[in-house]
Amino acid sequence: MSSDVNQRKGIDTGFGGGKGRETLGDGVFKVNPITCQVLGICSALAVTSRLEKALVMGGALVFVLAMTGLIVSILRSYMPRRIRMITEVAIIATFVILFDQFLRAFYYDMSKQLGPYVALIITNCIVMGRAEAFATQNPPLLSMLDGVANGLGYAMILAIIAIFREIFGNGTLLGYPILTGTGIEKNLLFALAPGAFIAAGFLIWFLNTLNPPESTEDSP
Amino acid sequence: MKDSVRTLVFASVLGLVCSVLLAAVNLYTAPFRKANEEAEEVLNIFSVLDIPVDSELDSLALLEVFEESVRVKDMGDMTLYENVLEFSAADEPLIVAVPFSGPGLWGPIKGVISLDPDFLTIRGISFYQQEETPGLGGEIGEEWFQKQFEGKEIVSAGGEPGFRILKPGGDTDSNSVDGISGATMTSERVQSIIDGLAKDLWKERSSYVQ
Repeated sequence: MSSDVNQRKGIDTGFGGGKGRETLGDGVFKVNPITCQVLGICSALAVTSRLEKALVMGGALVFVLAMTGLIVSILRSYMPRRIRMITEVAIIATFVILFDQFLRAFYYDMSKQLGPYVALIITNCIVMGRAEAFATQNPPLLSMLDGVANGLGYAMILAIIAIFREIFGNGTLLGYPILTGTGIEKNLLFALAPGAFIAAGFLIWFLNTLNPPESTEDSP
Repeated sequence: MKDSVRTLVFASVLGLVCSVLLAAVNLYTAPFRKANEEAEEVLNIFSVLDIPVDSELDSLALLEVFEESVRVKDMGDMTLYENVLEFSAADEPLIVAVPFSGPGLWGPIKGVISLDPDFLTIRGISFYQQEETPGLGGEIGEEWFQKQFEGKEIVSAGGEPGFRILKPGGDTDSNSVDGISGATMTSERVQSIIDGLAKDLWKERSSYVQ
């Protein structure tokens, strides 16, 4: 429990050895970047109108977070303190652009649907936050795992919101019609951004009731 | 002093590594990205030329179909696409298409118009790139707006070349369509693009239709 609190304060003291499982669990559940820290909300609202988009975006976050964690951690002892943050941004931007180019070349339709939101991962607070709070103070593989965990935590929340929004807003799930014949009509509210706000709000409420945050002062 | 040198070296090496990596990926993906963009344009030309395509085809295959089924000609400042799959007995194409572009309200509007071989009657129109206000000017991307152009002509009943977009609900004639309520600015800009296009097409018509 104490490491959990420490991690929230960004002064993690653990170095490998048995920390893997805890790191993974923290990112996905205990200190989920969206529901506990309410980071990365902009893209979470923008890309959750369909499940497929949410999954690709989640995959992008897993990739960027894992690679940034790994590289920042490897470089952490060489990194001059004064240019630490700009170095992190440069590394993040490199991986985000790599992913964006890959989508543009091989999944053009998806790239068009996601529009600017892939490139905007560069400014996603989760990535910078994990690089600063975790990767600069932990060994490479553990940092990479932390990135994967936080990416999965983000992807999971996006997927849950997107499942609701796609079913109620569009009547489909992953493009397959779900609501035909049930008499339930499509609700435009869920297809538009306000529906995402409402769904995310209820989800955060629900998860925080299940697992109350220890202290609000610990949130970054 | 030593510290700043170290900072400088670190920054330069990191910058170099990142840029080399990105440049390499950019080079590698460039042909695929280019094919995707071309394929998107080609799909629009197919749709106005009534060429059926398999939606499963990837970008490179689409470009091959384009090579086989469409003949590209220069016509003044414009490009002319002819559907060579359905030639008439006289070896004349049954349908031709001309791409156009112009300024919209928020960004450029690009599209393709298709015409009967008489170069007078509009077969179809498609605005495939536009950034007009969603729900208002953005309606130019919708079928109801584009359908209105079918069967219209690029000259007025009096023989004057041009095209007009009227206030919605007006009496449209052979070379005008209804505009979009609440999107006067977009309607005006689309009118000026199509009007200019109609006049240009009329100018080239004499050299094309014998």
